[in-house]
Amino acid sequence: MEKLLNELSSECQSAYGVECDVAIDAQVPENLKRGIPLGLPSITENDLLRHFTNLSKKNYALSTVFYPLGSCTMKYNPLINERIAKNDAFNNVHPYQPIETMQGTLEVMYELEKDLCEITGMDTFSLQQAAGAHGEFAGLLVIAKYFKSIRQKRKKIIVPDSAHGTNPASAAFAGFEIVPLKSELDDGSVSHDKLKEVLTSEVAALMLTVPNTLGIFEKNIVKISKLIHDNGSLLYYDGANFNAVMGIVRPGDMGFDVMHINLHKTFSTPHGGGGPGSGPIGVKSFLEPFLPVPRVEKKKDKYVLNYKKLKSIGKLKAFFGNFPVILRAYAYVKALGGKGLKNVSKQAVLNANYMLAKFKDKINVPAGNRCMHEFVLSPKPLFKNDIRTIDIAKRLLDYGYYAPTIYFPLIVDEAIMIEPTETESKETLDKFVNVVNKIILEESCQELQKLKDAPINTPVRRLNEVEAARKPILKWK
Amino acid sequence: MDYTPQNQKDKKQMFESIGIGNIDELFKIIPSHLKVKDLNISGGKTEQELLNYFLNIASKNKKLISFRGAGVYDHFIPSLVGEIIGRSEFWTAYTPYQAEASQGTLQAVFEYQSLICALTGLDVSNASLYDGATAAAEAVLLALRVGDKNKILISSGVHPEYIQTVKTYLENSKAKIEIISLSDNGRLDKNTVDSLTDYNTAAVVIQSPNYFGIVEYMDALSLAIKSKNSLFIVIINPLSLGVFKAPGEYNADIVVGEGQALGSSMSVGGATIGFMAVKKSLEWKMPGRIVGQTTDRDGKRGFVLTLQSREQHIRREKATSNICTNASLNALAACVFLSGWGNAGFSNLAETNISKARYAFAKIKSLDGFKAKFENETFFNEFVIETSKNIKKINKVLLKNNILGPLDLSNAGDNFKNCLLFCVTEQRTEAEINRLVELLMKI
Amino acid sequence: MNIPQDLLYTKTHEWVKIEENKIKVGITDFAQHEITDIVHVELPEIGTGVKKEQPAAVVESVKSAFDIYAPVSGKIVEINNNVLGSPELVNNSPYEEGYLFVIEFFNKKELDDLLKANDYKKLV
Repeated sequence: MEKLLNELSSECQSAYGVECDVAIDAQVPENLKRGIPLGLPSITENDLLRHFTNLSKKNYALSTVFYPLGSCTMKYNPLINERIAKNDAFNNVHPYQPIETMQGTLEVMYELEKDLCEITGMDTFSLQQAAGAHGEFAGLLVIAKYFKSIRQKRKKIIVPDSAHGTNPASAAFAGFEIVPLKSELDDGSVSHDKLKEVLTSEVAALMLTVPNTLGIFEKNIVKISKLIHDNGSLLYYDGANFNAVMGIVRPGDMGFDVMHINLHKTFSTPHGGGGPGSGPIGVKSFLEPFLPVPRVEKKKDKYVLNYKKLKSIGKLKAFFGNFPVILRAYAYVKALGGKGLKNVSKQAVLNANYMLAKFKDKINVPAGNRCMHEFVLSPKPLFKNDIRTIDIAKRLLDYGYYAPTIYFPLIVDEAIMIEPTETESKETLDKFVNVVNKIILEESCQELQKLKDAPINTPVRRLNEVEAARKPILKWK
Repeated sequence: MDYTPQNQKDKKQMFESIGIGNIDELFKIIPSHLKVKDLNISGGKTEQELLNYFLNIASKNKKLISFRGAGVYDHFIPSLVGEIIGRSEFWTAYTPYQAEASQGTLQAVFEYQSLICALTGLDVSNASLYDGATAAAEAVLLALRVGDKNKILISSGVHPEYIQTVKTYLENSKAKIEIISLSDNGRLDKNTVDSLTDYNTAAVVIQSPNYFGIVEYMDALSLAIKSKNSLFIVIINPLSLGVFKAPGEYNADIVVGEGQALGSSMSVGGATIGFMAVKKSLEWKMPGRIVGQTTDRDGKRGFVLTLQSREQHIRREKATSNICTNASLNALAACVFLSGWGNAGFSNLAETNISKARYAFAKIKSLDGFKAKFENETFFNEFVIETSKNIKKINKVLLKNNILGPLDLSNAGDNFKNCLLFCVTEQRTEAEINRLVELLMKI
Repeated sequence: MNIPQDLLYTKTHEWVKIEENKIKVGITDFAQHEITDIVHVELPEIGTGVKKEQPAAVVESVKSAFDIYAPVSGKIVEINNNVLGSPELVNNSPYEEGYLFVIEFFNKKELDDLLKANDYKKLV
């Protein structure tokens, strides 16, 4: 067990210190002065280095194990991108310094926006949003503002039940009412008829994830797009699964009006244990006036920031966006180019279908024999003896794999959602498939206890989440 | 470059297993008239080419000695921070969904939460939000969830981009935002706050040190706010807490702020980190992830994501927030940053900021054509100077000498015409300050 | 499964105990079992108006949240503060210590729509 920082603290020389080369002059009035102790630990640099290095070893990470986390696109994060992002010439830039002294930074933003337009078929992009959900929120605000500008009262957003939880949450956040739409059981697709039933004059937009969370391309997309637009509504593309179709088909060509994309998924930027990410939004030109400010523009050979956009939804965060993430994504685009980007999706879909082919005769696949970049298994019919998907996931940790996404999408019972990505070798996929099959088909019958006891090879064993929530301990004492 | 590993032999075997002749068969479901021929995107660069390509772009940025703050600061980042956040076990991990395989991230976030609570004097911290501005917006939304009041008061001493962000977040809600003006002395007057706060006021949002650098009299303001049962939302500069009163001491309900000063680089103001701490009574209303301590089957201490039924993946449209991805790696940086100073070292860091800022302040205000805007107020590392000189010229001359000069406040309202916002952190040396003063003197 | 004879029930798994012009409300043994370990309960404030079959409270497990519906329209006149600090009471004693709130109802007729114990038993 690794001690906590407060347990490591002692009367020692702390790791850091600064010297003040002018006379210390820091008396402040009594009523402004801190009265309670700071309560910070005192630890040497040597001990801190050990502490945090030891903690790092308690993580399963993409750099140590296969990470087939469905919907999260845990692809290889190219090291060259990290090297580029470490450059102080990018990192030491102040957001309010004169634009002529930050032309490099603005160039990266402008050029990535341009490339994203080409990749997605949208007319213009904004990079300000800090994550996918932040992008959804911004996109929905754009939609709200658009309808306000044409004086239409449209307060509803249709969200299929197979969507990520962020979709309905973002729509509610943006002030919309959510109309849930039941997706088709066999492939998670949207039924034309069911959509028609809920499509009233109050509907502002339909949010679609393509391919959907069962890993299936929306076969009715052309009809859906027509239906939505005939109703005067807009079509929103959730780009969480864009890794399946990059260079193959473009949301802009399919009729989507607004979209977001996750640079920390499709564009290979690392997830950082939970962030920072980046969720650029792309829109068709009629929605451009509503994008957040400032816009990066190019005037002759100079990049400039334009704050004067009267119809803009305003600011989604301070300053311009998560630049280091944007920079890595741009490096990725420049590494691959148009051809390479197309190959990404081809290989991602190949890898997923290969795994699916190896599973499908043994484990139930609710959405059939083909998928795009990910697929969902439903092992429930095979479960005996109170085994559940969580046990399978925990047992996988013992074999040195991060577990796939489980219990999502909600429309599949005991779901296991697997996304291999394009950067994994056939050998890795083969080994993983064998282990999953072994756990589900053999161990869960014959060595039940191994599953119930799992994990045993991790730094801690199964943790008590009920106690954690009932009697929360959220900081050290 | 290409990051896909399969060779032709692998592919052939994979095709056979799937029962296809080529990859395109896998995309049959996509209507052919929609398919893209080629993406018109340059690239295909080797690693070496990429490096040079980006060195060239980077060279178009200029390295400057910064006397500018206004929300993003040039602070010292200890070597250990870079070492730890550079460990791939941290930066290539995902959100810690599988707790047993994510104890590194989870314990680090738990420690981050503990440190934020220690610093602010509040009970519960979340695992991070995107940045200071969005944290302020989330704080306001939290306050609106508490009761059925719908008025929000915001000090005009709050960072203007934060106010804009809050307005964006509340655009389609029923809440009404009113701005409280600062007094002539650059800070809020408690009587003004008292008279504007009513029983329909869900929360009052005050930043200290405020946008103009001045430390607010939070005790008195708090009393005025509490007398109407409104929530007190405080936006704080975390480094200033090494010297100035902790929000827990003046009964703040929600504390938020920008954590960039805690070990993240400026990088044009993004990817930074928003922090949020609240009183215990508000913990189930908090947005974002929270890590909690628990035990494993053998009774061993461990950490998990907790209070999850607040979040979007469970609550969907009824979630406390739509946030999913946050700023975890920056939280790790903040954790490493805060753990290495000790109480005395951290106070010294804050005192160094104050001392250097005061040193510069004293020199600049005594120059011909420059004077203190708020003579007798207490500031942390930023202060306002009024000048009779041409501001554009000042910054032009400084820039020529590789100095990022003070922020021109002429857009900050009529009261700030001909005003400059200076920032002096621990990074500025006596020699650099003297050089700045010398250049200003010659203008 | 415990379904006390002297209580009334809703299709959404709330139980109701009539006390003059008020009803005491909780969730059934069946419901607490389905929800599994309850970690948090959100209750309305005293004085809040509630509408029949509209959400009035929330009961949460580690991985899910369930709306609790008002069986009849009325006003919340009492809440069980004990379940706020000890949500496990709802699991351990759904019909006694783990009750959720008391409603003063407006229209006695609405009580007619509630299920008898035997009918509820058939439902589950």
